[in-house]
Amino acid sequence: MSTLVQTIVDGLGRGSTYALLALGISVIFGVMHLVNFAHAELITVGAYLAYFLSTRDINWWVLAPAIVVSAIVASVATERIAFRWVRGSSPFTMLLTSFALERLSHALWQVFVSPTKKSFAGPAWVFDTFEVGGIRFEWMDVATIAVTALVLALTAFVFRRTLFGIAVRAASEDFDAARLMGARANRVIAGAFAFAGFLAGVAAALILMRSPSAEPALGSDYLIKAVVAAIIGGLGSFTGAVAGGLALGLAEVMLRGYLPEGVWERLTDAFVFALIAALFIVRPQGLFTVRSAERV
Amino acid sequence: MPSSGLSAERAERLGRSAIASGAMFAVTVVAATVYTSSGGAARDLLVQELLVNIVIVMGLQVFIGSTGILSFGHLAFAQIAAYGVALTAIPAATKVGTLPDIPFGLGDVELGPVGATVVAVVAATILGAVIGVAIARAGGLAATMITLAVLFAVDQVVKNWQEMTRGAGGLSSVPRLTTNTWLWLAALVALLVAHVFRETRAGRFAVAARDDEIAAPAIGINVFWPRWTAWVVSVALVALAGALRVQMIGSTNPKQYTLDVGILLLAMLVVGGMRTVSGAFVGTAVITIGNEAARQIGDTHEIERLPELFLGVALLIVMLLRPGGLLGDADIAAWMQRRWHGSRRREAASPGALAGDEPASDEAPARSAASSGTGSGWGADSGSGSGALVVRDVVVRFGGFRALDGAALRVRPGEIVGLIGPNGAGKTTLFNVVNGLVAEESGTVMLGDRDLSHDPPHRIARAGLARTFQNLRLFGTQSVRENVALAALAARRYRPERVTVEVDDLLAQAGLLAVAERRAATLDYGNQRRLELARAAALSPEFLLLDEPTSGMSNAESLAMVDHVRTTARHVGAGVLVIDHDLAFVTRISDHIVALAEGRVIAEGTPDEIADDHAVAEAYLGRRDASTPP
Repeated sequence: MSTLVQTIVDGLGRGSTYALLALGISVIFGVMHLVNFAHAELITVGAYLAYFLSTRDINWWVLAPAIVVSAIVASVATERIAFRWVRGSSPFTMLLTSFALERLSHALWQVFVSPTKKSFAGPAWVFDTFEVGGIRFEWMDVATIAVTALVLALTAFVFRRTLFGIAVRAASEDFDAARLMGARANRVIAGAFAFAGFLAGVAAALILMRSPSAEPALGSDYLIKAVVAAIIGGLGSFTGAVAGGLALGLAEVMLRGYLPEGVWERLTDAFVFALIAALFIVRPQGLFTVRSAERV
Repeated sequence: MPSSGLSAERAERLGRSAIASGAMFAVTVVAATVYTSSGGAARDLLVQELLVNIVIVMGLQVFIGSTGILSFGHLAFAQIAAYGVALTAIPAATKVGTLPDIPFGLGDVELGPVGATVVAVVAATILGAVIGVAIARAGGLAATMITLAVLFAVDQVVKNWQEMTRGAGGLSSVPRLTTNTWLWLAALVALLVAHVFRETRAGRFAVAARDDEIAAPAIGINVFWPRWTAWVVSVALVALAGALRVQMIGSTNPKQYTLDVGILLLAMLVVGGMRTVSGAFVGTAVITIGNEAARQIGDTHEIERLPELFLGVALLIVMLLRPGGLLGDADIAAWMQRRWHGSRRREAASPGALAGDEPASDEAPARSAASSGTGSGWGADSGSGSGALVVRDVVVRFGGFRALDGAALRVRPGEIVGLIGPNGAGKTTLFNVVNGLVAEESGTVMLGDRDLSHDPPHRIARAGLARTFQNLRLFGTQSVRENVALAALAARRYRPERVTVEVDDLLAQAGLLAVAERRAATLDYGNQRRLELARAAALSPEFLLLDEPTSGMSNAESLAMVDHVRTTARHVGAGVLVIDHDLAFVTRISDHIVALAEGRVIAEGTPDEIADDHAVAEAYLGRRDASTPP
């Protein structure tokens, strides 16, 4: 029982960051049909910022918000520099544009900073634990889940109650109609990138607290998981992205916990990917279907 | 006559492929010879890399270029083949030391280079063929995600199955090939395969499905097979590259097959232009050479990782400025085809102008149809067709909205039936039900005594129902001729019992012969509509389903369309079911009119009866009663 609870908490903690990233990818896909493979580079941006600032002894209470802000700025910048110019192109073109940005980001860090890993100090309490009813929890897991829940609640509020959120949802369903209703394309899309940047920034702060280091390819591992989670959930479905992220985190932790030791255990990730492939074979459109507006 | 014409066409297509492949091969040979004439062994390595890249990128082009489905997973099969070669070719004596726990008795296996290559490529391709079933079924982004999952799954297996692969360290002491001959041969084969595939039925159908996933089934293409075939062919080429590469280097490890490497190879495909073999070839050369140049510059100026910067910048610039790639759709093979057809048409036209060989004008279709339609019609065959198209009690619900609520109609062979009704009456939905795009909740669609209610769109098209679309669905990147030729090809294959229609006759009737080599997407609206009709007719269907064929046309064009639709239908011996908002058009063309409102048939009869019908006038104009103030 206690291991099950621990496994679930562990899985939700891991899944939380996937969910935040997947949600950002889904929001951007909603407004411009771009699968943004450069999205997780925002984590790398935050990581290098934290690395530079931490050498100046800056407290994590300042560092974490700074990471979030840097991700927002970087996200909006990618839209202005690159994605605005391919808006309305084929999904293929947009996807490769995001790939080019991802490559470029890797290369720039490698050329101008260093190809090797740079570590810095995380907050002291990260690996502290506490006990409830005989079950031991890490503070970081609890903090991750709590912050994620808070951010998701905020997201739900923004998308339900604010004009911006409603414009983004409307644009996800039918951009042309949303424009005719007065939504301004540039603002909605830039806003969506800013919001996705915010979500990625929060994820980055949580990730970096736990493993405080910066390296050029830091984003890659998260990127794949996040994209997969967004697509498992059904691209453009915001609930789906969150569900996909959490499910992926849980699946990883559970498989690792329950696969027999030896070769099988080492093949956990291979199993996760095999499961994902199987999912797309059964449901090509993902778990949560978004209504397609294509007319025949 | 048609058979000799066909084999001549086939020979011409093969000839084009051979010439284009030969040209690219020759350019590569000359460039490599000049480059390696000085500079030593390092230069030889670049040539080897270029050749391997050509094989892989040609493989990618066959699938990604023809189907438009992005794949990250191809490298996984290069990796499988590379390990396949390593495991079967490394001497048994070496394996005892390096792989003591190797399973399946592989420890004793010791094949020569040819045997190992064949075994590895065949094994990788078979595995690819199995996974390809899922990829071809899924299509779109889901297929892309499956390929990504496959790449990572294979990567994980290779990294963690120590007993077989020695994990991240990889396998070495693979017997090396001493000459580049095999690589050159593989490059030539890859160029040939890529070119020839594009001319095969599978290749052409895959491109059709890439251009429009809904229009392709509407001419009888089951998109699964061309996609799957493209996948298997392309996996085989990439596996071949993997099998040869490991024998050039003598070792293999997981780092050679990461997503990063995959993106480098994808960049080669798209920078030149992924839709054509020429584009893929140019892109491979540009990126391979640029990458090497960046490496050398980086080395001399001590800048690490300059090649990666180059790759990012090059890819970004091309995507922002030329999303179609440097060459766009330019292609040697296609260029030769245009030249060939252009000159042939001039010859044909010189003695006495061919009816349709004039610039398309408003009256051209009607006129050319009148001159060619009478003698060569296949109308006589229509009697042997498969009977009437009968729709009974069809109900379709979108959420709470009943789009069709017991709609029914009947079209007899050779008859022209007009389907009218106000916006939202369910006309297009009815077409979509007949055509298999929308599933009906209840009701039946019968063609003669065959029940089509539960068939997918491509089966329905093969049974003899061809349609056009309200908002035009042409194969936009393909030539006008190819649009019609694709449907004719499908007809020969899937409707062999019917006499095939000559593509040129249909083009002439539609007044499109003069623009036959242009890209379909560049035609003006009226010509696009006529082209869609010609494409549907090329299937030699039992019935043509036309969804607003005169939408966006001028009055004069609409009138010409009456004759054009009639002649075309008679020419292929098809009945017609036509939706249109232009009542003048429908009244003139129809033998019988069915009026639909709110998903139900509210009136039917001859055009005269409908014109006087009360219910129809009400549905269109609204009821005049006390509740609405004047």
